[in-house]
Amino acid sequence: MVAYILKLKLRLLANGFKRSPWQLAGVIIGGLYALGMVVMLSLAMWFSADNLEARGWVSVLVGSVIVLGWAVIPPMITGVDLTLEPQRFVHFGIEAKTLARGLILAGFISVPAFLTMLAVLGFSTIWRLDPLALIVGLLCAIGTWVMAILLCQYLTIMATALRAKRRFRELSFGVLFLLLISLGPIITTIATNVESIFDLLIPATKVLAFTPLGAFAAVPNDFATGQFAALGLHLALALVYLAGLYLLLTRATGKATVTPPAAQRASSAKGLGFFKITPATPSGAVAARALTYWFKDPRYALSVIMVPMLPIIFYFASGTTGNYSMMLLLGPLIGILMGFSISADVSYDNTAFALHVLTGVTGKDDRLGRVLACFALVIVPLILAAVLPASLTGQPWRIPGDLGMSLGAFLIALGVASIASARYTYAVPLPGDNPMKTPPGNGARVALTQLATFGIMGVLLIPTLVPYIFGWVTQSMLAGYITVAVGLITGSIMLFLGIRIGGKTMDARQPELMQAVLVNR
Amino acid sequence: MNSMALEIRNLAKQFGDKVAVNNVSLQVPAKSFYGLVGPNGAGKTTMLSMATGLLRPDQGSALVNGVDIWAEPHTAKRTLGVLADGVRQFDRLTGRQLVTYAGLLRGMDREEVTTRTEDLLRVMDLSADGDKLVVDYSAGMTKKISLATAMIHSPKLLVLDEPFEAVDPVSAANIRDILNDYVAFGGTVIVSSHVMDLVQRMCSHVAVIDGGVLKASGTVDEVRDGMSLEDRFVDLVGGRGTSEGLSWLRTS
Repeated sequence: MVAYILKLKLRLLANGFKRSPWQLAGVIIGGLYALGMVVMLSLAMWFSADNLEARGWVSVLVGSVIVLGWAVIPPMITGVDLTLEPQRFVHFGIEAKTLARGLILAGFISVPAFLTMLAVLGFSTIWRLDPLALIVGLLCAIGTWVMAILLCQYLTIMATALRAKRRFRELSFGVLFLLLISLGPIITTIATNVESIFDLLIPATKVLAFTPLGAFAAVPNDFATGQFAALGLHLALALVYLAGLYLLLTRATGKATVTPPAAQRASSAKGLGFFKITPATPSGAVAARALTYWFKDPRYALSVIMVPMLPIIFYFASGTTGNYSMMLLLGPLIGILMGFSISADVSYDNTAFALHVLTGVTGKDDRLGRVLACFALVIVPLILAAVLPASLTGQPWRIPGDLGMSLGAFLIALGVASIASARYTYAVPLPGDNPMKTPPGNGARVALTQLATFGIMGVLLIPTLVPYIFGWVTQSMLAGYITVAVGLITGSIMLFLGIRIGGKTMDARQPELMQAVLVNR
Repeated sequence: MNSMALEIRNLAKQFGDKVAVNNVSLQVPAKSFYGLVGPNGAGKTTMLSMATGLLRPDQGSALVNGVDIWAEPHTAKRTLGVLADGVRQFDRLTGRQLVTYAGLLRGMDREEVTTRTEDLLRVMDLSADGDKLVVDYSAGMTKKISLATAMIHSPKLLVLDEPFEAVDPVSAANIRDILNDYVAFGGTVIVSSHVMDLVQRMCSHVAVIDGGVLKASGTVDEVRDGMSLEDRFVDLVGGRGTSEGLSWLRTS
């Protein structure tokens, strides 16, 4: 039975690759990238082998980071491939213990798990100077690997129950996203105080060595330095943790097979919401629908959170250098990013786009509605982001330039995105899916399209950039006023053309767009 | 007025090596209640997608109330209401918002949309759930709300792909009443289904499609030729196994 489940997992993996050549290509590129990282880090470990003092705590630290990474990232953020979740086997009447064993083993068959195994083995080369310690190191590396994947599986089962509730899913991602993007500033703050960090890290690894995170990783150092009492303790703890985890996991799997999926509490909205405010025209309706999605769909919420988060990140980032001129770029940056964010709109609609095709809404109305929604949402924060940094730092001569650049960038980005989304679709997270989960095999093509889109926006921005930069350098307010004029004029023209050309493209390609979104479901 | 509500001319579509629809021509007279039947994978959905503007055909054309949907899509779609199978809805909207959205997209004015939305929610038995998000609806409720979005602009032709799938018997009976009234007052309905009994009772005309080929079409009485529609269908499509099926599937 266990063998069947393993075979099933392998088959699923293989079939996943077969689905589309793009996907396979993406996985290969991603895999090569990850492999490169593994090799680089392994080399770093290889060359640290002669640093006898450091290798003990480095080993524990690296082991702990790997286990912690597996414990946090898949269950909480990216989501795990749940094709083999225990609930699916309910109807087969497989004995819980056998099923658990099969599923646990199947959890080790995945591309990330394989790469992690290579990584832990490669990292063991830090013990290469002492052959016996190297053998112990390799064995313990496997222990760390098993611990990481078992912990991941256990937390996944625990998290699944919670994630089934939509509200929780949407909330948790928001919190995690905030944590993730504030990670940068935190790290830079820490990096500036590197000295004291080491003082903090080394005692921390001593503690980690007694936890499931670092117990296995602590053993090789005990062996190499001949501290056999500590070795016994760490090894015993590690084995106890592993056994306990296995037991818990078996139990949780068994329990999951008899627990029905959690019922959802239906959420509701009173009345018509945005549909009441916007004009009763097709484009107005599209705008109302898009606005509703900006607030209700976590995939859009990601972009919405960006707006308040960017200033905070910039503030922290410039705080470390003491040079706040970066803040002056906030307006243009928010303009470009938010304008660009509607370029995946049709992909986000997924097959719900059929309603637009079937009602025969014109491409122009479709484009215009989506632009209006984004515009209504962004315009006020955009103006604030453009005006506030200059006025707060007492450089009022900058205001017109910043404002012109921000508005120009926003309008041009909206125009270009209107054409892009009528022409190209990407594989994006499905409606209701975890917004952080990018479908695999997407990388190369998306990167290429987005690069091209940004390139075109850059070229179209040149007329606005010239007076803007001139004004910045010469501190000329007049150049600022020219920036406003040029930005507004070129921006409006581009937006007008974008909606027109995008609308025409969409009219001509509605069924093709429909087929493109049908593929991704 | 055009005497043919839908005229399909030599529609064909090929996916890779597989011919999904092979040169099908079909005429659906106005004011008929037309059933489209066929086994799973026969090409029903592909054909209806091509006839409603969702999928571009390799060849052929489809005339909706006399207007070629591929030559003048915006005009043709004005008199056409479609319930597509296997597509999502904008399910972050509430039921009421979704139906309103469909009406406004059609360019109808707000008062008209509001009245019709409430009427549709009432007859679909969804008034109490109008403020719930569609994502929280059951499969049957989603079918009904999608049907409402297809009807709000009072089209002359309704094309419904599997409208009764997952719909409870009471709602199904209500929907049938609505559709019968609609036909009685001059509308035309095309439904695809594999429930023969339903088609025989409900429809005036029927077409049988199998393997992408039209096997028979006409009034129900013509097609079934004295037999029950189900027997006739099996006759046309074939593929019934002999009695020596699963000899081991015996409990005693």
